[in-house]
Amino acid sequence: MALPQRKIIHVDCDCFFAAVEMRDQPAWRDIPLAVGGQPDSRGVIATCNYLARRYGVRSAMSSARALHLCPRLLIIPPDFARYKTASQQILAIYQDFTELIEPLSLDEAYLDVSGRPHCQGSASLMAEAIRSRIRDEIGITASAGIAPNKFLAKVASDWNKPDGQFVIRPEDVDAFVRALPVGKIPGVGAVTASRLHALGVRHCEDVRGWELAELVRHFGRFGERLHALARGIDPRPVSIERLRKSISVEETYAVDLPDLDACLAKLPELLERLAHRLERAGQPAFRGLSVKLKFADFSQTTVEQAGQQLSRDTLAALLQVGHARGAQPVRLLGVGVRLAADETEPRQLALFHGDEQTG
Amino acid sequence: MLILQAERDALLKPLLAVTGIVERRHTLPILSNVLIEKKDGAVGFLATDLEIQITTASAETLPGESFRLTTSAKKLQDILRAIPGNSTVSLEQQDNRLTLKAGKSRFNLQTLPAEDFPLLSVNGTPEATFSLPQKELKRLISQVQYSMAVQDIRYYLNGLLMQTDDNQVRLVATDGHRLAFAAAEIDTSLPKAEVILPRKTIIELYKLLQDSDEPITIEVLANQVRFTFGSTVIISKVVDGKFPDYNRVIPLDNDKLFLIDRLTFLHALQRAAILANEKFRGVRLVLKPGSLSILCTNSEQEEAEEELEIDYGGGELEIGFNINYLLDVLTNLPAETLQLAFGDANRSTLVTIPDYSQFKYIVMPMRI
Repeated sequence: MALPQRKIIHVDCDCFFAAVEMRDQPAWRDIPLAVGGQPDSRGVIATCNYLARRYGVRSAMSSARALHLCPRLLIIPPDFARYKTASQQILAIYQDFTELIEPLSLDEAYLDVSGRPHCQGSASLMAEAIRSRIRDEIGITASAGIAPNKFLAKVASDWNKPDGQFVIRPEDVDAFVRALPVGKIPGVGAVTASRLHALGVRHCEDVRGWELAELVRHFGRFGERLHALARGIDPRPVSIERLRKSISVEETYAVDLPDLDACLAKLPELLERLAHRLERAGQPAFRGLSVKLKFADFSQTTVEQAGQQLSRDTLAALLQVGHARGAQPVRLLGVGVRLAADETEPRQLALFHGDEQTG
Repeated sequence: MLILQAERDALLKPLLAVTGIVERRHTLPILSNVLIEKKDGAVGFLATDLEIQITTASAETLPGESFRLTTSAKKLQDILRAIPGNSTVSLEQQDNRLTLKAGKSRFNLQTLPAEDFPLLSVNGTPEATFSLPQKELKRLISQVQYSMAVQDIRYYLNGLLMQTDDNQVRLVATDGHRLAFAAAEIDTSLPKAEVILPRKTIIELYKLLQDSDEPITIEVLANQVRFTFGSTVIISKVVDGKFPDYNRVIPLDNDKLFLIDRLTFLHALQRAAILANEKFRGVRLVLKPGSLSILCTNSEQEEAEEELEIDYGGGELEIGFNINYLLDVLTNLPAETLQLAFGDANRSTLVTIPDYSQFKYIVMPMRI
């Protein structure tokens, strides 16, 4: 492809919610701190500081389990208003460098700085400048990855985390990708990674030994993407169409779920992860719920219904309808919400207590 | 061969009673037909969609032969409606054709064999049987039916819960945002039983119930319910599912309460609703000692405000609702005075009739 070489920066704030809290409450800098739900109310950890991570505390872990790992852990409820303010201030810093910004969440964004005049056109220096301004003006730290595409920039931002950055120059792409473990590829979860391992594929170099057709046969449409990513190719543009239309979580199961009951049994776990994702996205207003199923034969179906609450009953009913369409074992389940066009849309509350998962 | 001769209305009235459930398009063509049967005197009409079956008979005995045939319900209904009211109608049957004559009009209709018509059979013996005046059941249904869900994926909400317990029968409907409860005492002592009646059954039943003291008998069977009143019988399948426990959502500690004249409140809301947002239908109620304000704003930032004087001395509260949920209950209750009991802006509000425990309406607020 004769596309001009791009310069993409992926900026990822370090333990963002916890960082904002530690900034405003300096006494919390030296103790294990987590932002999340209370352990008595089936809460989960949204994020935690690096001290807490030393004890094994992780995002999306149940608060009860986190406290078990680290009994001194201080868990505080999230204050999204302050996180949103900080996020908007960070966005304003990005805008001094480029117009091409794709926010992924409150604490993460892609920036396309190709051809920008700042710092003599050096993307590395621009990343340094952005991180230093976030430190000085917001009072928190961020890490950055600089690379010719979104995939590599995202991998790179994780390389020297926290408070660091990493550059993958166009001439280094090939060597870097060859040595990259497949588990580091965004979209390769535990199940896909273990299936790749079973095929003897550990690094992207190993992926290159597989024909495209073979990869598609094993991994469906994702096989196509694997084939490209293993060669360091990711043509996705930084999209300023920043309005996300939906938020969802899904899980591919190591063993297909044999029947409807087995699918329903997985629902609480997915619902919890979705609630967590919504929390990270700043509790956006939504207007619909959806359930996605991929069957053993790779056919897939999605069922949707209007709704403004994460209702377990509604998701169970959607799952039932979707499952009936395939009537065969299920390899993947997903649950999601369709976001409201306008954050200020009125929100009808649900009647059945316990039906409503988020406030 | 002439099989029947009758006044138009003697046929049209019973026909209309059964055709409400006939589906326009069905995979089984015969289901768009009505089964007409004459044995001895009266003419019987029967229609079904395989979930519900309604049968009824002409009021008077009619001269003519015994016969049994099926023909298009919609076409027969349209023809009978279109001919003059005082016409005498004659039906003739030849092979698989039905000829209807009235005055100088003549219609030749197709028939399908009556023995192919699927009939619902009644399974088992009733778990509970009871009777009450038709107007009493009609009143009960009118108090709750507007709260039934419409095409909700939680299919069990697209219907009405009917519970029997000792000498009480209770009806409950909810769409997940509001819930209506109505109960009545009956003479018989009944076992505890509950069924969910499909939305369509309730709507048809409600249309057919008369404002009369004549009784309707209800038999709750294993997976069916049978209603018998006058010469009409409705057999309906019930919805297989678990209806939510309504007792859990009745608020017990709402302490911001006052009485209000139903029509005064209804008319104020109807005026305010003119400027309610067309899509979200939000209304804000502001409760202060001595007054209730009603505020609506639409997407063009037009505003309506109403203020009502009320006998209220409690704390202040601002709470939002879908205005339709308030209009529904105010429109469908015959009571003069209602009691409103609020908790806070995030909890349910309870609407009741003073000194009457047989009706409850619970509505969740809307955050506006």
